[in-house]
Amino acid sequence: MRKLLAVLAALCVLAAVPGTAMAAEPAPKKVIKIGVTQSVDSMNPFLAVRLVTGSIQRMIYGFLTVPDSKTLQPSPDLAESWTTSPDGLTWTFKIRQAKWSDGQPITAADAAWTFNKMMTDDDAKTGNGPAVENFASVTANGQELTIKLKAPQASMLDNPVPIMPKHVWEKIPKIGDYEAEVYPTVGSGPYVAVEHKKDQFVRLEANPDYWRGRPKIDELQIIFYDNPAASIVGLKKGDIDLIGRLNPSDFESLKSDQNIVQWNTQGRRATYLQINHGATTSDNKPIGDGHPALKDPKVRTALHYAIDKQKLVDEVQGGLAKPADGSIIPPLYKDFFWEASGAEKISFDLAKANKILDDAGYKKGADGVRTMPDGSRKLQFRFSIHTDTPVEEKLAEYLTGWFKELGVTLTTKRLDSSKFSEETGTTALFDIAISGWSVNPDPEEVLGTHLCSRRPTASGDGGGTESFYCDPTYESLYLEQQKELDRGKRAETIKKMEERLYTDAPVIALYYPNDLEGYRKDRIASITPIPEDKGLLYGGSGYWPFYTLEAVSKDGASADGGGSNAGVIAGVAGGVVVLALAGFFVLRRRSGAADERE
Amino acid sequence: MSNVTWVRRRRAIGRFWADFRTHRAGVVGLVILAVAVVLALLAPLFIDASVTNVVSGTGAKMAPPSLDDPLGTDESGRSVLLMIWWGSRTSLLIGFLAALLSMVIGTVLGIAAGHFRGRIGAVILRVTDWFLVLPSLVTALVLAAILGGSTATIIVAIGVTSWPSTARLIRAQTLAVEARPYIERSLALGAGHWHITTRHVLPNVAPLLLASTTLEVASAIVTESTLAFLGVSANKTSWGTMLRGSYDWGAATAGAWWYILVPGLCIVTVVMAFTLCGRALETVLNPRLRTRAHA
Repeated sequence: MRKLLAVLAALCVLAAVPGTAMAAEPAPKKVIKIGVTQSVDSMNPFLAVRLVTGSIQRMIYGFLTVPDSKTLQPSPDLAESWTTSPDGLTWTFKIRQAKWSDGQPITAADAAWTFNKMMTDDDAKTGNGPAVENFASVTANGQELTIKLKAPQASMLDNPVPIMPKHVWEKIPKIGDYEAEVYPTVGSGPYVAVEHKKDQFVRLEANPDYWRGRPKIDELQIIFYDNPAASIVGLKKGDIDLIGRLNPSDFESLKSDQNIVQWNTQGRRATYLQINHGATTSDNKPIGDGHPALKDPKVRTALHYAIDKQKLVDEVQGGLAKPADGSIIPPLYKDFFWEASGAEKISFDLAKANKILDDAGYKKGADGVRTMPDGSRKLQFRFSIHTDTPVEEKLAEYLTGWFKELGVTLTTKRLDSSKFSEETGTTALFDIAISGWSVNPDPEEVLGTHLCSRRPTASGDGGGTESFYCDPTYESLYLEQQKELDRGKRAETIKKMEERLYTDAPVIALYYPNDLEGYRKDRIASITPIPEDKGLLYGGSGYWPFYTLEAVSKDGASADGGGSNAGVIAGVAGGVVVLALAGFFVLRRRSGAADERE
Repeated sequence: MSNVTWVRRRRAIGRFWADFRTHRAGVVGLVILAVAVVLALLAPLFIDASVTNVVSGTGAKMAPPSLDDPLGTDESGRSVLLMIWWGSRTSLLIGFLAALLSMVIGTVLGIAAGHFRGRIGAVILRVTDWFLVLPSLVTALVLAAILGGSTATIIVAIGVTSWPSTARLIRAQTLAVEARPYIERSLALGAGHWHITTRHVLPNVAPLLLASTTLEVASAIVTESTLAFLGVSANKTSWGTMLRGSYDWGAATAGAWWYILVPGLCIVTVVMAFTLCGRALETVLNPRLRTRAHA
């Protein structure tokens, strides 16, 4: 009995200790927690492909350049300055005098090792392989990095490869098998990863040696949720402080909460219809079972006229998007954004759409459905969407309604995501499909998804096409912009490409969804989006938001925080006492029973 | 001969109706069903599929019941009342046809299993057992997903997963009927399998079949709604897809009770009506239940 009492007392003391320790500590850690609905695939940047992992890499590692927080134009990061040879084939970067988080100096040799590793080791290409495809050689001399290219490349300054510390990574025998679960990581970004629990969280601590200066908070946690609804509840309860990439209905549900700031700005994504206009493989052989009518640009244009984009924005996106009168690059990127105007602009006009089809010889039958001019097939298209996506379902209902008035039957085909990617990206078993792309500050990647070379081979390999598009005009414009190092001139060429996509309509842009996020203002005092003018927080390009983030100072919030802490401690202590007492009685009863048996 | 049979049958039906009328719940169920079916059949005279078209939804979004829209509107401004009315056609059609399909499969296999008692019967019985232990909702989901979304595939998906219990029931009844002496007499007179199963067994299991089918329709309607709620639908408005829509578009958080309650109550009412009818039929047709009921 006396022993039990002693244990009980010890337990109480134990429960109380963290409380006293906390009270004694002068400045509690400033911790900010970000909720995400995707888990980290690999902490090895050579292997990781997921968006969440990319965001975390930006906080841990430096890059040659980062998009400027105001203009999104390339600005110095690890590369202090750079020069280009007149032929555009040789780039020389001056690497900043800074330190890795373990105190070693950063040199050009680190960058050269990173790029050379990717050029020579196929395993290391998994994450960002295409970024070094055009590199002929990379050499280092002190702080000077020289990259020689095979062909001029304007997007050189948007290089997505994090620079890795050579002295740590050159010891790894096989990159492909290495999960990089060694903490703390050695990096050169504002934060250092100190812990990762697979499918649970990643913990980052401020890097005191960061060359721009230490971040204003002490710790950043990225917490994974399987279920978006659970993450919303988490934000409301205060389990997390910020969450990005919300859908309109979840965003709306944050409205009633006074502690939550609803972040609603222009996004970096375009939602568009992908039209099977006669898909071919990379050796120009037809593939798939697309409807022949869609090969006719007039039919595609007629469909474009039959879409009320403003109505879609209002009804499908709850008004939280911008109708697209342009193409695949959203207006967030002011420099590259192109918008149709004048006679070229296609706006909702069913009469005009009907007239285009009438004139082109697609006659309406007795049932109101049009047939091909040669009478061979009715204009009945399939619309491929993903399963369990209410937004896409609703979109399908609207398109079906409008197309019906055009004499075109649209049936919805719901596919799970792997089947969807296969049918719309490789085997071309679709007529019209929903699609979208999140665009980087340099639009080369998204422009590249409509190149001939991106079509799959006959055996279904390669690819990455978003439209099976293969158009000589578009191809030559692409090569032109790739070589053009003058940003203004390059933007003009890129706008011509967007115009081509708009008028030829292999894809029809519907709207640009807003960037919808939410954060707790009782935790986050300030956060700077990227770009600073109405930009993004989570999922933006660069670490800027999470570097500038300021937590609510504990003076203001201490009553709250301390109170709830004290409550928790009291609760835990109480629980321990109850448990101990219960345990005591159970033990007594057991020993009693044992006594009886003996 | 046929004259005598007809007189006998008419008398039997008269007796049956007199008996059925005494079950008030059954009569109530029958009336509700009759109203629902007549409304569904008459719908095309007043409205057409455009009431479910989002493009022609002109009302406010999630508007509460008013004079214009007596049961409010949904997320696209469509009238819930008109959608319910038009959707009843899909729900009832799928319910009836799936029950019919399940009944046909169940009857054929049930009678076969009861009649051929050797190896064939054993095989059929094992197959039935195998289908019986399959989780029918999951199987139906998978089937509908593979076959694609159309009214026919949903009917098939429900029909082929719900027949085993009917088959079991019919087999038991077949065994009982075939144990009667007149079957033996018929056999002695040279009757073949076809004659015995169609002339003697089928008429005797028919009443039970009617009751079982009525109950089956109820469960088929519920299954259709469940499948639609889980995202597998015939691309047409039904009560299940409306429930799904109310869930997808946050009717609960928007306080749009009419959007959730109305389709839900419709399902409950019709299923209840079928069940009441079915139970009453069972009682009337099964002498054992009747004596217990009267005792």
